[in-house]
Amino acid sequence: MSITAEQTTDAKAKVPKRHVSRLRLRYTLIGWSFILPNFVGFVLLTLIPVVTVFYMSLTNWNIFGSSQFIGLDNFVRLAGDSSFHSAFGNTLYFAVLHIPLTIAVSLGLALLLNSKLRGVAFFRTAAFFPYITSIVAIALVWNLLLSPQYGPVNQVLGFLGLQNPPGWLTSSDWAMPAVVVVETWRRMGYYMVLFLAGLQTVPRELHEAARTDGANALQRFRHVTLPALRPTMFFVTVMLTIESLKILDLIIVLTDGGPGQATTVIAQFIWTKGFEENQFGYSSAASVVLFLLCLIVTIIQFLWNKRKAV
Amino acid sequence: MKRTSTAVVGIAVAALALTGCSGGGGTASGGDENTLTVSGWSLSTTPEFQLLADGFEAQHDGVTVKLVEYDPTDYNTLLTADLAAGKGPDVITQKEVKYLPTFQQGGQLLDVSDVTLPEGIGGADSYKVDGTAYATPYRQDSWVLYYNKALFDEAGVDYPDGSWTWDDYADAADALKSGFEDAGVKATPIYQHSWQSTVQGFAAAQTGSDLLAGDYGYLKDYYQRVLDLQENGDQVPYNTVMANKLTYQGEFGKQSAAMMPMGTWFTATLVSQQESGEADDFEWGIAPVPQLDDSTTGTDATPVTFGDPTGFGVNANVSDEKAQLAKEFLEYAASEDAAKALAGIGITPALLNDAVTEAYFNVEGTPQDDLSKFALSTHETLPENPADENTAAIQNILNDLHTAVLSGSQDIDSAIADAEGRVANEVG
Repeated sequence: MSITAEQTTDAKAKVPKRHVSRLRLRYTLIGWSFILPNFVGFVLLTLIPVVTVFYMSLTNWNIFGSSQFIGLDNFVRLAGDSSFHSAFGNTLYFAVLHIPLTIAVSLGLALLLNSKLRGVAFFRTAAFFPYITSIVAIALVWNLLLSPQYGPVNQVLGFLGLQNPPGWLTSSDWAMPAVVVVETWRRMGYYMVLFLAGLQTVPRELHEAARTDGANALQRFRHVTLPALRPTMFFVTVMLTIESLKILDLIIVLTDGGPGQATTVIAQFIWTKGFEENQFGYSSAASVVLFLLCLIVTIIQFLWNKRKAV
Repeated sequence: MKRTSTAVVGIAVAALALTGCSGGGGTASGGDENTLTVSGWSLSTTPEFQLLADGFEAQHDGVTVKLVEYDPTDYNTLLTADLAAGKGPDVITQKEVKYLPTFQQGGQLLDVSDVTLPEGIGGADSYKVDGTAYATPYRQDSWVLYYNKALFDEAGVDYPDGSWTWDDYADAADALKSGFEDAGVKATPIYQHSWQSTVQGFAAAQTGSDLLAGDYGYLKDYYQRVLDLQENGDQVPYNTVMANKLTYQGEFGKQSAAMMPMGTWFTATLVSQQESGEADDFEWGIAPVPQLDDSTTGTDATPVTFGDPTGFGVNANVSDEKAQLAKEFLEYAASEDAAKALAGIGITPALLNDAVTEAYFNVEGTPQDDLSKFALSTHETLPENPADENTAAIQNILNDLHTAVLSGSQDIDSAIADAEGRVANEVG
């Protein structure tokens, strides 16, 4: 039995108007009560500070008292600040090394652990461990591992016949690659899980069809797996890019930006200028630059992805 | 859409009101005129604050001193946040001199030039900006040379006698190294901690150089000496200190090193660690730090070293009555009575006279030889951090120089040239 349009209109007419509006108000309030705790937190802790940063970047505020509006002076100063140039270059250097390496390692792990191996659950868990390990513990252990004189890494390299192994965290040339290796090791488990989820969505029939057509493993990976993983790959790349551009915690505990300025990145520059030198206006200007950098790179990635999708 | 915008603006205004973004004066103790709040850190392991609070209360009936504890690592950041929110303490402890100009320029500190300080107190000038005092010292640590008498005996090397220049120090390190090898002792002659002060503090004080001048050529000889000591195996390498996260308390307390330049705050730590068993039980002494040349060596001269005072300032937002009480607290903390009490728990007070020195060495576990007493009481201590708005930025740049040179990443000349260029380029 179907309900006709006339019956529906009839039913609506029978419900009093006041009752409908009270019901709507009730539903609206329930809806707001669900999102309000999160929204208040977001507004207080994110939205207002972020909006304030844009204004602060145009002032010479040093946290106490009132600030003076100085227009774009902070940005002009940033353009001529050699430390900021160095931090900017180091941030890009870190990102360029870290993003492809992490994608390669985590995708490789995901492909390996997507097969039906014995003890695969254990290996998946083990690969995820670094992600949930305390960052201070990570820094302590990796500092010991990479110790130029007594560290196991250089001892193994010496055993393999390398005469002058790198100084790693104590060398201005090798400190950043060493930080990249540690960060990749730390993050690979998380991105492996994302890739594993992505691999579950690759249609098995496509692989079977490709195999029937004589495609080898590499061809199947290139022409079946990778295109099917595109949405996951896009998400991982965007997240990794943003994380890489705002890297701070690991560098603080591992090298503190040194030796010299070899591993000082934009986020640390912001921290130093703001919280150590109390130049909050100048520090905010550097934050705005970092924000714009993240935004521009992400927009380019979105446009690229859109073009590929077409 | 219009209603949504209005709601967002309303929430923003409410949030600003809630978080007190309008700023404004005020202190943690509020309107209670008989309660004085004093900021401090690690209260359970830093007894000086409670000691001063108790002493002041004993002299002022009905007055309560309430200590406000902050995390020691982020002390200045957390204090700054409280002051900016109008919730700062009445008496603001100055943990590091380099932050004083920020507080002063931000209008957070009262002029305390009218506080009477005892004759001969050290470190008072460090708190003056354009001739006006914004804090007064109660404690003045200076850098001395700690040495392990037992290890010197095992190596058959004479103890320091106060006549050492840095060259004598290097010679003694060589002699210790040979002595240790002969005696089969597993120790390094010198442990020098990773801080930039361990090189730059001595260099600036002993060459009479100005940190703010932007010329850092005076650092070259001091860094070269340290690199040579590292190269010869006389000193634990900087890279090992960093990679293994070595602590100076552990290296000296566990007898891994025979000599260690360090601030006098280490005396109280070493005494307490020897008492608790955390450090080995051995005989040790204090000597003046090695000097640039003979003109300041010997016990008839005054050795030059460096150090910054620790002091108290008064919150500019307190009432006149509270300001008066706070100034009385500053006066008490700098007095001989307080100095003797501080010395009695192994703290180096800013006022050092014979009576205070005697109280210091009455602490069980402190060395009793004449040179130790001379080293603690006789020195010209120059400030490491001048009270200037650019000090923090310059010290950050010089810290980069320090890590680059001692890690071997950059040669001294180019690191100095880089630092000079950066100071000219980045600091006003």
